[in-house]
Amino acid sequence: MGLRISHPPERSYIKKSALYWLCLSPFVITTLFPFAVMISTAIKPRAEVLTFPPVWLAKHIRLQNFVDMWHAVGFGQALVNSALVSCTTTALCLLVAIPAAYATGRMQFRGKRIFRQFLLVTQMLSPVVLVLGIFRLMATLGLVDQLWALVLAYTAFNLAFAIWMLQAYFGTIPIELEEAARLDGASTFQRLRLILLPLTLPALGVTAIFVFLYCWNEFVLALTLLRSSQKFTLTLQIFSLVGGRYSVEWDHVMAATLLASAPVAVVFASLQRYLVRGLALGAIK
Amino acid sequence: MRGYALQSSGINSTQFGRTTAPYLLILPSLFLTFWIIGYPLWDLVNMSTHAVTRFGQLKGFIGLANFAHLIAEPLFSGCLVRTLIWTISVVGGSVILSMPIALILNEKFAGRRIARVIIMLPWAVSLTMTGIVWRWAMDGQSGMVNATLFNLGVIRQPIAWLATAGTAFPVEIAIGILVSIPFSVTVFLGGLASLPNEIYEAARIDGATAWQCWRHLTLPLLRPFINIALVLNVIYVFNSFPLIWVMTQGDPANSTDIFVTWLYKLAFRYGKLDSAAALSLVMFVILLVFTITYAVLAMREESIEVRR
Amino acid sequence: MRKALGILLGTATMAFAIASAEAKTQLRVVVAYYSAATQEIFEGMAKDFSATHPDVDVKIEVVPWDNLEQRLTTDIAGGIAPDIAMIGTRWLVDFVKNDVAEPLDSYLTPEFKARFLENFLGPSTISGKLYGLPVAASARAMYYNKDLLAKAGIKDPPENWDTLVADAKKIKALGNDIYGFALQGKEIETDAYWYYSLWTHGGELIEGTKSGIASPAAVAALSLYRSLIDEGLTEPNPTGYNRQDIERLFKQGRIGMILTGPWLRGQIKTDAPNLNYGIAPIPAGTTKATYGVTDSMMLFKSSQQEKVAWQFLSEAAFSPKWRIEFTTKEGFLPVTKAEAEQPQFTNDPQLKAFTDMLPYAHFAPLIPNWEQIADTTIRALQKVYTGEAKPEAALKEAAGSIDSILQQQ
Repeated sequence: MGLRISHPPERSYIKKSALYWLCLSPFVITTLFPFAVMISTAIKPRAEVLTFPPVWLAKHIRLQNFVDMWHAVGFGQALVNSALVSCTTTALCLLVAIPAAYATGRMQFRGKRIFRQFLLVTQMLSPVVLVLGIFRLMATLGLVDQLWALVLAYTAFNLAFAIWMLQAYFGTIPIELEEAARLDGASTFQRLRLILLPLTLPALGVTAIFVFLYCWNEFVLALTLLRSSQKFTLTLQIFSLVGGRYSVEWDHVMAATLLASAPVAVVFASLQRYLVRGLALGAIK
Repeated sequence: MRGYALQSSGINSTQFGRTTAPYLLILPSLFLTFWIIGYPLWDLVNMSTHAVTRFGQLKGFIGLANFAHLIAEPLFSGCLVRTLIWTISVVGGSVILSMPIALILNEKFAGRRIARVIIMLPWAVSLTMTGIVWRWAMDGQSGMVNATLFNLGVIRQPIAWLATAGTAFPVEIAIGILVSIPFSVTVFLGGLASLPNEIYEAARIDGATAWQCWRHLTLPLLRPFINIALVLNVIYVFNSFPLIWVMTQGDPANSTDIFVTWLYKLAFRYGKLDSAAALSLVMFVILLVFTITYAVLAMREESIEVRR
Repeated sequence: MRKALGILLGTATMAFAIASAEAKTQLRVVVAYYSAATQEIFEGMAKDFSATHPDVDVKIEVVPWDNLEQRLTTDIAGGIAPDIAMIGTRWLVDFVKNDVAEPLDSYLTPEFKARFLENFLGPSTISGKLYGLPVAASARAMYYNKDLLAKAGIKDPPENWDTLVADAKKIKALGNDIYGFALQGKEIETDAYWYYSLWTHGGELIEGTKSGIASPAAVAALSLYRSLIDEGLTEPNPTGYNRQDIERLFKQGRIGMILTGPWLRGQIKTDAPNLNYGIAPIPAGTTKATYGVTDSMMLFKSSQQEKVAWQFLSEAAFSPKWRIEFTTKEGFLPVTKAEAEQPQFTNDPQLKAFTDMLPYAHFAPLIPNWEQIADTTIRALQKVYTGEAKPEAALKEAAGSIDSILQQQ
């Protein structure tokens, strides 16, 4: 909870680390278990996938599975689609949420409470429930089988969380900073850009991760709104390997899931450092 | 602050800003959410009060008859109970477990960065895929869970985890908790990072113990974040479809069906769009009641805190 | 300036492309996923068709079976139904009832009709009108593991249920992880797995206007399965196994006998090439029976280009060339005479086992709300398999629910 002067690792530091890892171990194991299963299955040759009793390490390792899967699934195209949709939605969502968060966090206006409640309400309806209506809407707009339909829908579903998150962070920034800038003649927009945003980078980061993940992994809406397989997102493409099939090619499925989760895990790992620094900075102020 | 080289706008921005600026700022988000969620919601209300054909054509207005039929269905009460058990267990378990995890991850220790990434990993995989992988791992015959437990000597016979509700439902709840932890941990970490140091220094000078710091400083200050985690989790978990669907499809014999899986069957297997619409609204109302009650309780607590 | 010009040019090109694309007729065909070959096969049909009809652009959409119903429902509800779709024939009644399917009789020429084998046109004929063209047909039979049977000292596969029970006992004695008879207790076609028993015991799904699943024959059929579970002759906890799971057990060589369709042959060839197996008719009870399933290609009433759609069906999709291609690659039974005459079908002894059963085939009854009725049956079966209920009580309860569903029409 704050800065500590770094010492060389003392005995108590090592003991503390060991203790913490011990406490975390059940979660670490249950989290890593499915990944181990995925890796173990993804590198097995087809004939060994279904052996009984099941073994962790196959007799032959077949990295070719990944290549086969890439072609069979059209992984490259699906990856591009997922990336396009996720990045665009994240950008759009932040663009729309920031002004709204500023308004609800800093300003008073009639209907503010209703707006906030409306946002909360939008979270309460699962896409499964709204699928038919959304589809009819998109069909009227002629957006079926367009990635834009997904972008718009995902943005709408994520706005509530984004606005909530950003507004909470805006609230932690002392109003005096803004007041001083306003006295200097800064407009609302300038205050937003030069003061608030830099200080809420951690919140932006967290929101961006959340929205990106939502889009990357979303299934029901993508299934309903996308038609041609060239437009499929990764989640859709992988699911089509499993759902309603006469025979499931598990080695391909696991390989595909691994490759689909890898970019996200990498994004996590890199944003972690940034987030930690950002969160710590936020704490110092 | 006088160091800013700023251009002041011609119009007196404060006066202009006070009246229309807020509405302009919220306009885009209002527009998007209103159309993409409001319109389907209206569609839903329409379908729930009419007789609807299998393919969504409205036939005749029948008021609340759909709701009456729905509640009279034998499966309704069972699904309601299971949905409540599911939501309370998953959210409760996730929040209770996430707090200590967040506290640990907030401390400095060797390999902390790796630990953070690992705990966040379930989030990187879509719920559908998580369900598929666990279903494969839980397979009675060739699943790795049974194989591992067998090798460790914990069990002697393979357990058919997903064959009956007695084992399948708890398994689904456990996995639900596992995938909800990253979100709650993130929220709590954010909260912990926002805690100011000075009060802890002051408390320590006053001789407060770690437990007292936790109970009287950290916990109250984290309350808004706990609120966010609880409310959002309840909403997401209540509506969570992929996990249960992929693992058991709500069976055997509807024994693991919660509202949302039953809803899918009603809408897309049986083609009873009117009942499905009615059920969606029932679910919506339940969540609405919950959030309003919670907000009222939370606000009352906040005002107590403020008065202190 | 240059940027603006670029944008202008880009928009112009796009507009031109859209305009020229619109000059072509677009035909949308939704197809279910059978295997990795499905997309190629239909794309091939599309290419052939576009070669003879250059003004038509055929768009093929392949959808997994699990999502097909949902997809078609949302499409129709959204007003953008495709021109042609592949559907499970059991869904046809609902489509007809809701005035979504186009009757095909006016398009049929006697020559075209004569291409088909008689049996298969029946299931898609409702109220005397033909609404669907059969596309993937299967009958069911019993696969048996020759090695396991030989090890257990059994010479021939069982011809009736009593012998099957005895044989299963012998196979079970072979080892701890070996099971006699596969029993599916989860997900789609759990009910079908029981219908094999029901029909061979003389029972019927619908008797007159009421459900027939509470009849004495039905109770006997279900009690047989229950006793198989009780005596450990099936894999343990059947409700944890869907169709793929029990097929997997068979491919692993751990199950003596399984009842399923022609597709398993193709799977065994790739997944378990060394498996020594045979195919025999489903054991008889009081009578012989099997389950015949067809999928159909349906024409949508809402289609704007019905004539073109029909041309696609008659010239490409159901041309002898593509019918043979489809049935061979996907491993189904021939539905047209041209396919049946092909050497790969006439000289295939295994296929013969399937086609020999066709005269005894029962099809799913053509009644609306079939999915809901099937689900009700599955629910009863699962209750009995888990021991939660006894056969007679569970079936009676299910029959009652089904009767009220039937009365709803």
